Formats: sequence, C-alpha cells, structure tokens
Amino acid sequence: MLNNNPALKHIVGRVGWYLVTFLVAVTINFFLPRLGDANPVDTIMAKVSTGLDTKSARVKEEAYLKEFGLVEVDAQGKVKRDAQGKPVPTPLSSQFVNYMGMSLQGDLGSSILQHPKRVSEIIKTAIPWTIALQLPTIIFGWIIGNVLGALAAYKRGAFDKILYPMALLTSAIPAFCFGILLVYFFGIRLEWFPAVGGYDEGLTPELSGEFLSSAAYYYVLPFLSVFLLVVGGQAIGMRSMCIYELGTDYVKYAKLLGVKESKILFYMFRNAMLPQLTGLALALGTMVGGALIAEIIFSYPGLGMTILTAIQGNDYPVITGCTLLITVTVLIANFSADVMIGLLDPRIKAVQSGGK
Amino acid sequence: MTLTMPAPIFEIEDLRAHYLTRFGQKIQAVDGVSFSLKEGEILGIAGESGCGKTTLVSACMGLYIPPLHQSSGDVRVDGKSIIGMDVEQNRKDVLGRLVSMIPQGALNSLNPTRKVKDLAADMILSHDEKADKQEIQGRLRERFERIGLDAELVLNSYPIQLPAGMKQRVVIGISTLLNPRVVIADEPTSALDVTTQKSVIRLLFDLMDQQIIGSMLFITHELPLLRHVSSRIAVMYAGEFVELGSTEQVIFDSRMPYTKALMGSMLSAEPGQKSKKPVAIEGAPPNLAHRIKGCRFAERCPEARPDCKENEQLIRIVANREVRCQYAE
Amino acid sequence: MKLFKNLLKSPGFLLGSSLFLLTLVLALLGPLFIDVDTRTRVGLAFMPPSAKAPLGTDHLGLDMVSLLIQGLRSSLYVGFLAGTVATIVGTLIGVYGGYKGGLIDDILTVATNLFLVIPSLIVLILLSSSLDEGRSLTLIALIIGCTTWTWSARAVRAQASSIRARDHVALARINGYGTFGIVMLHILPYLLSYIFMVFILQTATGILSEASISLLGLGPYDSISLGKILNEAIRNEALSDGAWWAFAPAMVLITVIVFALYVLNTSLEGVFNPRLRK
Repeated sequence: MLNNNPALKHIVGRVGWYLVTFLVAVTINFFLPRLGDANPVDTIMAKVSTGLDTKSARVKEEAYLKEFGLVEVDAQGKVKRDAQGKPVPTPLSSQFVNYMGMSLQGDLGSSILQHPKRVSEIIKTAIPWTIALQLPTIIFGWIIGNVLGALAAYKRGAFDKILYPMALLTSAIPAFCFGILLVYFFGIRLEWFPAVGGYDEGLTPELSGEFLSSAAYYYVLPFLSVFLLVVGGQAIGMRSMCIYELGTDYVKYAKLLGVKESKILFYMFRNAMLPQLTGLALALGTMVGGALIAEIIFSYPGLGMTILTAIQGNDYPVITGCTLLITVTVLIANFSADVMIGLLDPRIKAVQSGGK
Repeated sequence: MTLTMPAPIFEIEDLRAHYLTRFGQKIQAVDGVSFSLKEGEILGIAGESGCGKTTLVSACMGLYIPPLHQSSGDVRVDGKSIIGMDVEQNRKDVLGRLVSMIPQGALNSLNPTRKVKDLAADMILSHDEKADKQEIQGRLRERFERIGLDAELVLNSYPIQLPAGMKQRVVIGISTLLNPRVVIADEPTSALDVTTQKSVIRLLFDLMDQQIIGSMLFITHELPLLRHVSSRIAVMYAGEFVELGSTEQVIFDSRMPYTKALMGSMLSAEPGQKSKKPVAIEGAPPNLAHRIKGCRFAERCPEARPDCKENEQLIRIVANREVRCQYAE
Repeated sequence: MKLFKNLLKSPGFLLGSSLFLLTLVLALLGPLFIDVDTRTRVGLAFMPPSAKAPLGTDHLGLDMVSLLIQGLRSSLYVGFLAGTVATIVGTLIGVYGGYKGGLIDDILTVATNLFLVIPSLIVLILLSSSLDEGRSLTLIALIIGCTTWTWSARAVRAQASSIRARDHVALARINGYGTFGIVMLHILPYLLSYIFMVFILQTATGILSEASISLLGLGPYDSISLGKILNEAIRNEALSDGAWWAFAPAMVLITVIVFALYVLNTSLEGVFNPRLRK
C-alpha cells in the first residue's frame, strides 16, 4: 500500500524522523538543566524555611522532594527510606521516565518561583500573546517578503533599485538591535507608540473592545520589529531565486513557444518557492528565537518574558516547560513545511516513487 | 492556364540585428542575411560558435528581447511580414505557430515541476484561450502517439521521469504542436549519441512528410552532418552568409575559402574525406562591435590578397551558388 | 598572489576587512591609550557624555567607554573561540561524512539535521541556565561553539562530497592512501578557502549568539560583554530614561562587527568562486 502512494510514503518517513527528533529534544530538555548542581527544593526551602525548627523543616523538605519527584515513594505514596531512615533519591533514569510521562500528559510540574502555581498555568497566560506576535509575523512576513522579492526580480528597474538596498540593510542589522532602535525612536523619543508592555496598565485582559484596541496599539512596534526583518530576509532570498529561474533554459523555451507571460511568471514563482520553503523550515528556529528576544525588549507579556523572569529567578520547571513547548512547536512547523515541500515538488515525489 | 509559383514559405530579406551593450556599444551580430525556403525544404545553416547563428534564430522569429534589437530587413512567412508587430502579437501569432524552435539543450528545456501534458496544454492555451480542455488532451494524445511515444505514460510524467531520448522527442512534439510553417532546429543533435541523432533526424523527416512541419532550418556547427539532412546549405561567418548552395556543392565543391577551411577542419566519415587530417583554422572571428572594412575572413584566409581587406565583399554567383568572395571561382 | 590582488580589488573585501580590523585595533590596543577602568565610579548613574566620561555612565556610574572596550574584548574573544570550535566540529563532521558517504554519512547527516531543527537558542538557554555561577566567557564560547556547528557541517559536507568525486581522489585511493591521508592531502587543501569563509560566518554567529544569550540574562557571570551591557541597560530602564549612551554604542559595535564580517564573507565568496557572481 505504501509503495503505491509516494506522497504517503514521504509523510510517513518524515513522521518517523520527527518522532526521533522529538525524543532527542525531550531528552536534551530534561538532562541539560540538571547538569548543574542546583536543586530546586533547596531554592524553595531557602525562602520558606525561615523560622522553622529542624524537624518541621525536614518534614517540609521531604514533602517538596516528593512533589518534585526527587525521592522514591511506595505504593501508598509514602516516602521510601533507606537503612538510615533517609529518603531514597529517585535515580535519574526513573526521573526521566516520569518526566516523559508527565510531559506527554501536559503536566509540566510546578513553578519554583511562584510555588505552588503550576507551570502550565503560567504558560497558558503567556501563550496567546506569543502566538499573536509570532504567527502573523512569520506567516505574513514570509508571504509578503517572497512576493516583494519575486516582483523585484521580475520588474527590475526602479522597484528593484529601491527594494534591494533596503532589504540588504535590514538583513544586516541584528534582530534585537532593530527592536531596541524601534523602541527608542518610536516609543520613547517620538512617543508614537508605547514602548513597554502588551496593553494599557489600567486594563485587565478580557475580550472587550477597549482592551483589544489597547492591545492592538501596543502590538504595533513589537510586530514591526520582527516583521520587517523577516520581509527583508525573505525578499532578498526570493529575489535571487527568481533571477536564477528567469535565466533557466526552460523559461527561455517557454518564451520561444509563445507561452503567456502570466504563465511564465507562475512557473518562476512556483519553482523559486520550493527552495524558499526549505529555507523556511530551517529558519523557523531562528525566527522563533528572534521573536522571543523582541518580546523581551518590549516587555511583551509572552513566553519570552516568562522565560526571562524564570531565568532571573532560577525557576527551572518554568524554563524547561517553555523550552519544551517552543521546541515542539518548531518541530511541528518544520514538519508541516517538510510535508508541503514533499507534496509540491514533483522532483521529490519522483524520487520517492523510484523515478526512472 | 498559368502556373503561378506559390510564395516561398519563408523569406528573409537583408535582415540585420544588433545588440546594445550597457556602455552603448552596438554589436551588429546579423549583418545582411537573405534567403528563402520553399515548402517541404530543409535549409542547413552551418557556422562556428559566435558567427551569429543564435541571433539569426531570434531575428527569424521576430523575437527581439533587449539588448537585442532589429536594425532593418524583413522576415515573411507565406508572404506576410512578421516584423514590426508588438510583443504580444508576436507571441500569440508567430511564436510556436508560424515559426517554432526546437532548442539546443532540449534536455533542460522542460519545466521540472510541470507534467508534460500540462506544459503542452499551457502552450496551446496561450495561443487559443478558448480551446476546450478535453479536446486539448485528445489532440495531445493523438499527436504524441504519432511521433512514436506512449502517450498515456509520457503525458502524465514529469520530465525527471523520462530518459533523455524521450525528452528530446517530447520537446520536438511540443514545438510542433501547432503545425508551424517553419521549424528552426538549433543544434538538435549536438550532445547526442549517434543512434539517437539518427532517430531524431528521422523523426524530423517524418514530421515534414506528414506535413506537420512546413519547412525547416537546421542549424549546426557540424557541416558534414548536413550531407544527409538538408537540400541546401548556407555557411555563416561573422554575421553574414558567405556561401549558399546545394548540399553537394557546398560540402564537396565549396568555392569560398572559409567553407573549404571549415570542411578541412572537421573529421568526416564521408567517402573521400576519411583520409584527410583535420586542420584548425588559425585566428579568431572579428569583433563585431567595430565597423569592418572589406572581407571579414581576410585576416585568417589562406587565399587572401591585399585588396581583400579594402573592398566591400558582395554576393556573387559562382558555379551556380552564392558566394561572398571577390576572388572565388 | 593573484588571489590576493583580486581580493584587494573587491570593494566588499576592503570595506569588510577594514571595519573589522578597526574594531580589533580598538579592542587590542585601546587599553594602551585609553584608561580602561571598569570598577571606579566616575559619576552618577546614567550621566550623559561629559569630559570625564566621553560616552556617559551606566546604571552604576561607571565609565561607558571603559565598559565598551572591555565588553568589545570579551565579545570578540567569545566570537572567535565559538567560531573556531564550531568550525572545527562542523568541518570534521562534514568532511568525514562527505568523504565516507554511505551509512556513516547518513548517520552524521541525521545527527546534524537533528541539531539543526532544534533551535540553538533553546539549547543555549538550557545549558546556560544550569551552569549558574560557572559561566565564564570561555565556557559560554564553548557552549555556543557546540550548538552552532550544524550549519558548517552541512556546508562543508556538500563541498567534501563533490571533491570526493574528483579524479585525483580516486587516484589517491588506488595508490593505497588511507582515509586520513586522503582527507589531509587531497580534500582539505581544496576546502581551505571554503573553511575560512565558514569560519568568518561562524564567528559572526558566535558574536550574535553571545549577545542574544547575554541579553536574556544568561551571559558571563563575572565579566562584561557587549550583550551584557545591553542587558543591563534594559534591566535598569536606560531606554525609558533616554540614556541612549548606555545601549546605542554597544549596539552599533555589534552591528558594525557583524556587518563587516558578512560583507567580508560575501566578497570572499565572489573572489573564490567567480561562477557565483552573476
């Protein structure tokens, strides 16, 4: 069955690969933070144990250790003890398995900084902001960037002479510098847009006209700081690809046959898109990272700020929760792009079906 | 009852075309070419690379894409001029329909992301927007079968799935879909092995016999190849025709020093030619950016005389063919 | 030598290399001419440029010029070290996989793609956050090097693959050279110019990554770097105070270095591979 449908074969192959990548990502996500010495329980205890005597402190500590899965429990949920009566620490491998299990169920543990708040809760409030910022920026930025690049390649002339240097400039400026520049000039100096935050301080997040319009106002600068850079980068790439396609033998032949100009443009666009899609898949990780940094610069209440505060407070569960989520999202986006390329590019289809 | 000669199917009259470089230089790549083709005739055009063959092809199709411009002259198909049309009219009426080209490097000429049937349909629809899609597929199937391809298989394939020989046939098939009056085959057999060369030439002959193609210009740098292909041969050098006659005349009895040198520089399996060692022609073709005085081949001509470089070389009739050489006989 | 002459003719090369050399000179020779003191207060917090502090003061009242020069040295150091590590790792993996082909190549490619897809920023965050107080410049550089090599591995592998197909390599194999010998004598020499270009890009990546990670607050613990200057500026609200001197010069330096390296790389590309110039 699989052999008859090259498209399906391709998808199944990619699914397999991405599952492996996911496993590796989760493993990295688990082990890396634990390379250091920090014990989350110690951090909590430092805050919470003032004024407690040794015995109650130990009881509290064991409760936390149990909660964070750092000690083994028996069937009744009581902490197992060794010969000296000390709690038995959970081996790293079991911790890992527990972690996998919990993550797959969506349970990312509790925050240290904001104990006993669950990590998933913290993330849930931040996610809508990040999605609102990242999704339109990346998708529209990519589409518009590519269209502009194609136009520049086809029309050349004045349009190209303006677009090309501009795009070159925007791709040379590091992303966060651009963000800082925007904040400073438009936010603070000219005061056209707010420099900090996601919405007016006096308002609470809700689905009201007042809130939404305030949010939109605060949205402009962070959006532009990522959007313009994505557009610039894509435009340059697409422009080169299109210039190349326009010079190919098959375009020359189509012209000689008298094929309509609009059709030839369609050929150029379609063939240039494919490498661009591949590029998108590879650049997604960078784009997401860049948007996160933009959030931090603008103090935008998304995952970026969440990670920042978590880092400043050594809140490991939150950090790893966020990174896991971001990695999974990037993997899914990559996977989608991969599948699309497989479906759109006959060259890959042919290879899959064993092209002659 | 009077026998009226039908208008030649293809007439080129004193055609000139030039390139304008970025610095304003004018390069006269085609400088006064004239010939005509009768229906059912194949004219071979032979010349080294750089002689202006490619520019001539564009000019013959009325296709002038900057920096190429037409200087003067006329091109007529069935008596009607195809010069002076705007780009859109040229595209719709001339390209692919009256004058069609089979490109050099046919192997890369097919859009890799388009199925053969879609590409062919694109071509037909570009000339006749109202054509019925179903009808088009039927026509395609019929035509591809006629040229010896498994229509079902080939039409539904992507170029990457077809072997080189089949791709060549596909290109020939698509170029001749609209039964063009003139087909220009630009080096159709270069980079092919001998067997494939033969089958391609045979296919072209078939198409002419079936009157799918009205007439043909066969362009090549291999002069001896034309022995079994064309009835007449034109030899081109530095933007001009220097000899134009029947195949036998040009290959076996050339009167123009350049043609003789060209034949002498080629390996040929022809009877009488086998034992001769090829001798390269020394020097290089002239730079066409400058106005050239006198004979363009004089620099390299083994039979050149002092006033060859002074006098303008006009076409003379020598031994029943056209020669552009003041001293040829 | 002809190569060098061509390089000198290229405007990109001249621009890129001169800009970069300028920053190098500033970093290496700066302390000889300017009194670099990052510990003594020269004024109040966020004071505008004055005679005592030509580029103003930071949130602690320290001289910005000293901080910038010190930060420049650190950032360049990290960039170079990270670039070197990434280039070495990437080249080794790329050349080995590209040359050997087959199963080894497949495994290495899968591994490379794995790290390519997982955002390096994420890995950086995870690694850095766990190494709380040990975060020295060297450690950060090593971490960046170990997470950003994927790009070079891919690029070098493609080149090695195409060189492998060349005749002189086949001849070497017939003559009995082992893998190491062939790689050293027959493949690497052709790759040298390419590897150099890769190194330039990796250094630029290193500098940018350091800036990003420091911006997040995961920068070097004890030292100052350009990214850290930015982080401190934002954290202490230099932006809203209008204290442009606290972040603009650092930003300009980063942009100039990275831009110079990119331009340098493009010009080298044009000279080493003239076919690319269309």
